[in-house]
Parts: sequence; C-alpha cells; structure tokens
Amino acid sequence: MTITSVELIAKERDRLLQRSARVIGLGSSAVALLCFSIPGVLEGTTLLSVLPLFVVLIFSQARVGASMSLIWIILGLTSGLAILIVVGLPFGTTASSALATAMVPLAAGSLASFAILLTSNVRRMIMLVFGFLTSVVVTEVTIGAPTVATMEGASVALGWVLAAVLGYWLSASVPRAARRIYSIGRAHRAERQASETEAQRRQGARLLHDTVLATLTLLAHSGVGVAPSALQQQANDDARLLRQLRLGATPVPQSSGGYNLEQPVEESALGTTLESVKQRFGRMGLEVSWHGTGQVLLPSDVLDAFLLALAECLENVRRHSGVTDAHVTITDDETTVRAMVTDAGVGFDLKDIDEARLGFKDSVVGRLKEVGGNARLFSSPGAGTTVVLEVPK
Amino acid sequence: MSSGWTAPEENTLGVILGRRNRRGVPNASTAGRAMRQASARGASLGTGYLGTGASVLAAVQGVHGIAMFLSHAGEYPRLLPIALAWFLYALTLVGVAIAIATRGERMPNWMFALFLLALAGVVALDFTAIWPMHDVGRYATASVSVGFGLLVALTLRRGREILIAALLLAAAMVVAIVMTTPLNDETLPAQILAVVLCVAPSIVGLYIVRWFRRIVQLELDRVLVQSTVSAPRFAVGMLASEELARLDLAAEELLDSVATGRTELPLAPKTASVAASLATELRLHLIEGRRETWLYHAITESEQLGKSVTLTDRGSLAGLLNPVQRDGLLSAVWLLVSDKRKGASTAQVTLGPVTALPDPVTKLITVPVVMTTTGIARNRVDPATWDAISKVGAFVDSTQNSSLRVEIDCMVANPADQ
Repeated sequence: MTITSVELIAKERDRLLQRSARVIGLGSSAVALLCFSIPGVLEGTTLLSVLPLFVVLIFSQARVGASMSLIWIILGLTSGLAILIVVGLPFGTTASSALATAMVPLAAGSLASFAILLTSNVRRMIMLVFGFLTSVVVTEVTIGAPTVATMEGASVALGWVLAAVLGYWLSASVPRAARRIYSIGRAHRAERQASETEAQRRQGARLLHDTVLATLTLLAHSGVGVAPSALQQQANDDARLLRQLRLGATPVPQSSGGYNLEQPVEESALGTTLESVKQRFGRMGLEVSWHGTGQVLLPSDVLDAFLLALAECLENVRRHSGVTDAHVTITDDETTVRAMVTDAGVGFDLKDIDEARLGFKDSVVGRLKEVGGNARLFSSPGAGTTVVLEVPK
Repeated sequence: MSSGWTAPEENTLGVILGRRNRRGVPNASTAGRAMRQASARGASLGTGYLGTGASVLAAVQGVHGIAMFLSHAGEYPRLLPIALAWFLYALTLVGVAIAIATRGERMPNWMFALFLLALAGVVALDFTAIWPMHDVGRYATASVSVGFGLLVALTLRRGREILIAALLLAAAMVVAIVMTTPLNDETLPAQILAVVLCVAPSIVGLYIVRWFRRIVQLELDRVLVQSTVSAPRFAVGMLASEELARLDLAAEELLDSVATGRTELPLAPKTASVAASLATELRLHLIEGRRETWLYHAITESEQLGKSVTLTDRGSLAGLLNPVQRDGLLSAVWLLVSDKRKGASTAQVTLGPVTALPDPVTKLITVPVVMTTTGIARNRVDPATWDAISKVGAFVDSTQNSSLRVEIDCMVANPADQ
C-alpha cells in the first residue's frame, strides 16, 4: 500500500467522525433549544441572553463537520458550558425539574457530540476527560439539587460515554475495513496478472488460431465447396487443439505435424510448416505447389506472421480466384524472405476492390508490418493475381 | 489510437461487440460477475464490526436505563411489569447476541419479527408499569432503551425497516403521553426528550452506516483500480482473456458439433453467420489485442473515474510512466474528482505529444501531461493532490475557466533505448 492510501483512508475516517459529530451535535442543539424555548422553562431575558451563545455553539458544530481543528471543539464546549451556567443562574437555588431536564440534551448530546472527535490521541483524550468532568459538574452545580448525584447528571455522563465509545469504535472500524479491502486489492492484482498471462498465452497460440480461423471462415460460407468429411476432420482437429489450449496445455497438431506450439527454439524451419499449410488447403480443395527453398530459419514471431499472411492469401485465392491451384515461390537473400503467391484465376481491378474487404489490410499487411515486413498486391481482370510477401530474416 | 474511454460498440468489421456496462466489462462475463461480487462484498465489508459497536452502545445505555429505573423504583405502584420489561429487554439483547455469535451476522425475517415482537412486549410492559404515574417522559426507562435496542439490527436489516420500527416506537410513545400525561411547562421537556430518544439512535445509526458503506465502496473501487499501476506498458485489461477464452470456447463447441455430425453440413445460414462473427471477433482479439495502457484500463474499470475522467493518449505514452509516476497520476486524478460530493467535477487528462528531444545526458524524454478540469476550484484542492502530482514530475498549475489546470513535465525512459 502506498502512503497515499494510508492518508486517504485516514481522511475518510476523520470525515466520518466529523459528520457523525456534526449530525448528533446539531440535532441535540435543536432539541435543547426547543426545550429551553417552552414558555415557563426559562425567563424571557435569560432565553434572549443564551441565544447568541447558541449561535456560537451551532456554528462550531457546523465547522466541526468539516475540520478536525481543536479550536472549534474548544469554542463549542465553552459556549455550551456558558449556556448551562447562564440558565442555572443564580447559583444556590434548585432548578425546576423542567429546566433540569431541558439541560440534558444540551450537556449529554450537544456537548458530548464533541467527544466523538476526542479519542484519537493523548492530547485529545485529556480534553475528553476534562470536557466530560466539566459537563457533569456544571450540570450538577446549575441544577443545585440537595442530593450528590442527580438523574440528569447521570444522563450527561451516559451521553459522554456513548459518544466516546462511538468515536473510538468508528475510528477503529475504518482501518479494519481498509485492511480487508487491501487484501481484496492484492487478490485482484494477482487476478489481473493471471488474466494478463492467460491472454498472452492464448494470443501467443497464433498458429492454432490461424487454423481455427480458416476453418471458421469455411463454416461461415456454410462449408460449400469442401468435402464434408474433410471439413469434419478439420473441425475435429481444431476442436481438439482448442480443448487442449483450454485445459492449459500447449497443443501439438498431429495431422500436419508441421508447426509445434511448444517448440522451445527461437527459430523454426519454414519447410515442414509449409507442408502443413499445403495439406490443409489440399483438404479444402486448393492444390498448392511450392517452389524454391524450404530450409529458411525464421524467428518464431516472424514465422507466425509470415504463415498467417500466406494462409490468408491462399484462402483468398481459394474463395475468389475461381481456380483450384495456386503457386507459392519462396526465395531469400541475406536480409529478407520473400513469398510470391500466384494464381491464374479471374483476377480483379485493384481500383474496384477495396483491399480491406478482402481482409487484406488487417490480416496480411497488419501482421507483416508488426514484424517489420511488407505485402504488395498485383492483379488485373483476367490475368490472375500475385501477392508478394516480405519479412526480415 | 483513440483513447476516449467509451468502449467501441462496433468493431471495424461492423460486428456488434457484447453489450458492456459502464466499466467496459461485459455484464455476462466472469469479470463482470467478479466486479459485482466484489461490490456486494463491499456492501457488507466491515459493517459486522460496526454492528458490534452499535450493540455495545445499546448495552451501555441499557445499564444506564436499569440504574434510572432502580433510582426511582420506590415510586412505582407496581414493580412487577417494569421488572419483567427489563428482564425481557435483557433477554432479547443477549438472545440476539448469541444468535449472531453462533449463526453468523445474519438476521432472517423470522428472527427480526421475533426481535420486534419482544421489543414491543418490553414497551407494553413498561407502559403498563408507568401508566398510573401520569408522566411518561419522566418515568419511561425500558421503552426509551428500546430505541437504542433497535441498533442491534442496524447492520443486519434494511435501513427502512429499522426506521419504520423506530417511528412506530415514537408513535406509541406519543400516544401514551397524550393519553396519560398532563402537558404543561413542567412536564413538556421530558416528553420531548423521550420521543426524540425513540428515533434519534436509529436515524444517527443509519446515517453513520450509510457513510461507512460509501467509504468502503469508494476505497474498494480505488484499490481495485490501483492494481493497474503495476501493469506492463500495454495491457489487455481484466476482460481480454475472459473474452478470448469465451470466443475460444464458442469456437471449440461449434467445431466439435461439426466434427461429431451434430451440426450437419452444409451449415444452415444462421449457424454460418455465427461462425462468421466468431471468426471476426476472434481475429480482432488476436490482432488488436493490446493497444491500451494501464491508465485506460484504470479509468474504464473504475466506477468513480469512469464517469468523470476523459483520457486522451494518442501515443499510448501512459505506458512509459514508472510505477511511482503512475501511482502519483492515478492518485491525483482520484483526489481531484472523488473529493467533490456534490456538483459534477470532471477531469480531462491529455498525454503527449512528445516534442522535445531526449535529454543528452540522462537519455530521458519528456512526456507533457495536461490535466484540465471543470468544477474544481484551485483553493479547494486537497493538499495531498499536490504531493501526488509532484510524484509524476515538475508541474505548473493555473486556473482555466475558473477551474484547475495542471501541466506536468513527466520524465520517462526512452522506449527506443530499451
């Protein structure tokens, strides 16, 4: 957890305490004022003289709701105690039971509400004890009953105890909850990392998805033009690979045997992999003839991109060219491996066909560019199509 | 790359993606479920301890009530009903405490009904005892304690139920007062106090519990979002692997049903179109996977930030920030928009473009980060915000349209050197 978290949670805790103190304090002041205003409870002049003190008290309580400063607490306690003293004047006489009762919401509610904010450190605790004792004593003295302790005094003591317990309990509750939240947060972080790793694993299985995508694309065309048994065989192979991926394995396609997802080496030979592509298109009814070198080593991510782009081109040939065979010529020099995919099909006018519609831009150009390669497309109506794919070695 | 936080409803091939909720997580996905579960847990998180505290308050008040009763025990014409009332009240509180301790923090309907019935019995017995004394406000003890007793159920039942019970108690008190007590300046303060004490504990308690839950929700949201700080430069977000797994599974099932012959070839047009959209979505997830940064995910996944923060980061520069800078930036944004309870305050965070050349000595590049806000006055900003911002880099703050604007020069390692 960062420092900011600790600060933030402390701030939220203080705010909760302040709000609680404010709502209890203001509510109690309102009730106290109501009780004092009942005709006959106080002399008119006494009532008028405590009103300014009530204004100060209520103002401090409102301020306490937004600030932890001790000044407002001191101001509030002082004005509240002053009210108690003024209504009890002159000393030595016993207050009426109505007046004594009317003091209770003031001393046990309004003043005690400040106790909520007085539990966090030693200095505040000293003030808490001082406020508690003063409130009880002033209440007892102003009531001036012949007995040592009155019911009202006991109620004031209760109010302070309840407020202090409330303040203490709330201060403890927030960090407790925060600790549990942080443990949820840690679990969530682990979950996020696991999610990231899992996404990488699945995205990393590109060749597997390549064959799955090709099969799905065939199915999207209802499987027309492909022998049902071949398509079923292909679907079976692909479903098995996906199942293995789902179960956490790194699946090894057996039908083609060409690409190997758990291959530990950084570079893979092109030749065996090309054979698997050829077999797959053979099943789909497109005869692919290979020319040129088959023994080129490529980094595996480059190989992935290269093969996917190649397969995508062959799929386009199969679907759009109207012919059943395609030629792939692989050449390489010091820096580049180049594949030329040609067919003698219907071809098209480059201006008429939106490249994106062929999936060319996303799946061919995009993939190759990711590994620093490139693709170029040549075609004209009636003259077939040629695609040149280039990747760096 | 566009980094407005709204998830695209439609992908580049015109396929409508799964419906997403505000966090950008598909509602039906596992991630969405986890989010909801976390929020549900958040609602009850820590309130158990709070409930215990409320019970402690009720118990303390009960002891005081018994002392009050004993102090004028001699004035009661009949002691039996009031003694029974206190006995029943104590029994009820202890019973609920035992039930919670043994059965867990729950109060099923039947238990709540029993609880209310017992409390009603306490009130009835107390009223029976003080009826002939003609001063309900002064002599009511157990029935006033019932107002505090309701606190026991504070965190276990819905607020409305507690409030209704408290109001019923106050109503009973008012009726009893009107029927027995002569109202004059001598008796009135005590009556007012008694009625107020019936409802005040519940109202204050509910207010506090609501605030507490709000704090917990906010903190939970913040902590969940903070986990993005440690993400790699480009991350897939919580939903990516869920989505990919879902698509893989759907593809597997479709292929399997074709392989076993359950789905006959050639495919029906409807199944074919399912295959088409699966292929498209899968392709997109594989190719377009990781273009977003941690900050994008943090904002889209957060309830709090999602509705008030807009991010513009065309170069995905947020990914270059180190964990300390990320923490600072996220905290600053959080402090700016979460601090205001009323009024809509928003923040717009823009990263880049990088214009300056890398520092020749340190090899660091400067990413300009600009935060413009609405509804946030310069002098109302929490002091912790400035600390957080200074963790991101050297900054200059100003006011634009009477709201805060901060420009930060964030020094990051040059990705070309890595």
